[in-house]
Amino acid sequence: MMKYLKILHISLTERLAYRADFFLTTFFRFLPLVTTFLLWEAIYAGAPKADDGAETTIVGFTRDKMIAYLLLVQISRMFSSMPGLATGIAHDIRDGNLKKYLLQPIDMLWYLLSYRGAHKIAYIATTALPYGILFFLFRDVFDLPGPWTWLAYFLSLILAFLIGFFFEACIGIAGFWLLEVTSFMYIVNIFTFFVSGQLFPLELLGEYPYLTAALEVLPFQYLAYFPAMVFLEKRQGTELIVGLLIEFAWAIGLLVFCRWLYHVGLRHYSAYGG
Amino acid sequence: MLLRYVNLWFSLAKFSLLGELAFRGNFLIKIFVELLWLGILLLFNYTIFQQTTSIADWNAQQYFFFIGCYFAMGGLIEMLFLDNCNQFADLVRSGDLDFFLLRPIDEQFLVSCKHVDWSCAPNIILGAVIMSLALWQIGWTFDTIQVGIFLVLFASGTALAYGFLLILMSASVWLMRNQSLFEMWWLFTTLMRYPSEIFKGPWAQPTGWFFFFVIPIMLVTNVPARVMVRPLLEPWLACYAIAAAIVVVAASRYIFRAALQHYRSASS
Repeated sequence: MMKYLKILHISLTERLAYRADFFLTTFFRFLPLVTTFLLWEAIYAGAPKADDGAETTIVGFTRDKMIAYLLLVQISRMFSSMPGLATGIAHDIRDGNLKKYLLQPIDMLWYLLSYRGAHKIAYIATTALPYGILFFLFRDVFDLPGPWTWLAYFLSLILAFLIGFFFEACIGIAGFWLLEVTSFMYIVNIFTFFVSGQLFPLELLGEYPYLTAALEVLPFQYLAYFPAMVFLEKRQGTELIVGLLIEFAWAIGLLVFCRWLYHVGLRHYSAYGG
Repeated sequence: MLLRYVNLWFSLAKFSLLGELAFRGNFLIKIFVELLWLGILLLFNYTIFQQTTSIADWNAQQYFFFIGCYFAMGGLIEMLFLDNCNQFADLVRSGDLDFFLLRPIDEQFLVSCKHVDWSCAPNIILGAVIMSLALWQIGWTFDTIQVGIFLVLFASGTALAYGFLLILMSASVWLMRNQSLFEMWWLFTTLMRYPSEIFKGPWAQPTGWFFFFVIPIMLVTNVPARVMVRPLLEPWLACYAIAAAIVVVAASRYIFRAALQHYRSASS
């Protein structure tokens, strides 16, 4: 356990070594958020008004709830996105660098999990201020939930992190059999961006019942949509507990599958390079 | 002189195409990725227009023309420059930039134009198809002058985007870890993805003005799209877009050369 904590500490130091690059990228990451808010403002402004003068809603979301949702999916993705993980694993397999894990008393998956944990802590710590300001500016769009919802939300985020990690690790491990996974990752990233609910609430796809039914059983909604819906208290009672249990089952299922895939892959592996 | 560079570019483009065709599977996957992205973009906007009648006074057909214009422009920039600029940070870090500086041709041309990413070429065609469909739905009648102005503004928009890309790329020399240029560029171009009219409100309007007049990235798609589908285009706006493109391209060249002055070879 101690060695993985050491890895976490070293990775954190490394991550903060290039501060200018880190802060510049962080600043740029706010641009899509700003334009998305403005786009939704324009969408609500153009939407037909209710006859009784009630506030305009789109698939059950008022303008405030939509802004809150879009902010919350950013937090979800902060936990669940794993840039470079799959391609990193695949490159290590292809270039023969994987042997560094095999020659040392260290497990690749736990090592990478610690490394990603550090990455997430560094990212959350350094973006806490700008995100804090952003959430403060939009504080009126939120109704703060009760302590049980907070707990459920936190749990859903941790599970989102695990699902995101093991899902991408599985794709990376596919590098034992595929020469190149980069192109495949592009497809997965674009697909995930859409089906995880990062672009808009999945209720908007209501007119495609087969698509929504498929998304219900797949793990992607837990990467962004589900945690946001938990915080907004649109998942409560039994629905919330069942949702969390399914999310937990996906995290465990992907962990087991990932470990099995890695085990099988190692039997298939031949190291190259000096 | 110019002819020499044109011939050189065609040779490089041909060489790039041969390289792409050597890995046909990868080439087809890249095209599929672009198609998927376009499909999602269209589905998203179609879904949105099921809920609203207009976005910032752009109706569905006008908005889809804007998307087509953005997609074609983005495809052109990705095809010609993005991959080259993305590799610049690695050239600086590894010292391989030396080999570019030793050649008897302009460094900026070689660094930013040596590889043509043919997998993005279909984006230009698809963008043009979306624009054509939108114009057909509007009931547009062919106007040579209007198309001519559009093409000039489209070219100036491309030049403007190239200038900004070159400035971001040049920052690698100082930052030394500009590994995420592709991501940064994608984030930055968010500002050319939507009509400028969405920037409404006490803080959004000044922000919109800032990115329209100070760092004029919003001109890239907004001005050419407007000339075709919006009822009125102020002549000053067209002139301003062209002037901005000239200034930004000149500034980007100056910054690129300043970056080269700061470059210290890393090779042995």
